[in-house]
Amino acid sequence: MIEFDFEKLLGSSAPDPGCDDSGELMDEYCELVLRGDAVPDRYTAFLTHMTNCAACREDMESLLAVLRQGEKTGRG
Amino acid sequence: MLPLMNTVTLDRESAEWLGDLQGKDGGAREQAIARLHALLLRVARAVASRRRQTLPDRAIEDVDDLCVQAVNDAVMAVLAKLDTYRGAARFTTWACKFAIVETSSRLRRHAWRQRKVEVDDTIWDRLSDSTPPILQRLENDQLVVALRRAIDNHLTERQRLIFQSVAMDDVPIDVLAERLETSRGAIYKALHDARAKLRRALIEAGHGEPVS
Ligand SMILES: [Zn+2]
Repeated sequence: MIEFDFEKLLGSSAPDPGCDDSGELMDEYCELVLRGDAVPDRYTAFLTHMTNCAACREDMESLLAVLRQGEKTGRG
Repeated sequence: MLPLMNTVTLDRESAEWLGDLQGKDGGAREQAIARLHALLLRVARAVASRRRQTLPDRAIEDVDDLCVQAVNDAVMAVLAKLDTYRGAARFTTWACKFAIVETSSRLRRHAWRQRKVEVDDTIWDRLSDSTPPILQRLENDQLVVALRRAIDNHLTERQRLIFQSVAMDDVPIDVLAERLETSRGAIYKALHDARAKLRRALIEAGHGEPVS
């Protein structure tokens, strides 16, 4: 029985495309989330990277925050 | 390469941005670049204000300069990559991404400017007192021993520095990228390889994957 957070320390073993390839999908993924659309399977590896990589995850959260703010103020 | 092959149909605003930035009309192009700069600067400042609490007091006064520099670079990156824009997201969303990545990586490096990054074995001693958050759940002594042994036996010096700094001590990968004179992607790749080696070594040592 493992007591520690294997996944957080060692990351997920699922396929992870890394920072550069994940960055390519970040903008379209954020718009998808904002529209409330279902997330297609092709984002699975991207989401694994967001779990594994704190920097990319923070950047994605910043982009979501900026887009939400833009919606509120009516600016794209 | 032909630009805009295989794109979805652009929304009108994105098409206008692209038309102005790629067009032959020098005046319209200059104006579009100025509008883009202003938009991305608002984004950079919003990111900086969100992350203000991560910055030491001494670093706060330089933040606006940092935003301007980040946006200068982001605008250059956007212009250099216009041909790769495929319209999967709105143009402004795509461009904002460049500003965010530039700004946040500069902010992370700025916050760490006066801090050292090195292989720090005191992290193991700190397990009992001021435990780093990531290790708070390392309740199983045997597992701590196995992890430490796997790090010593299976990682290169560089992988060890990167794993211990990023995964155990929460050093941002952009900070390591700057110190080791490489890219975020290269640091992440080294972290990813190190984690895979450790996962294998721990499983071989009888510490299987957890059932989540
Ligand atoms: Zn990443």
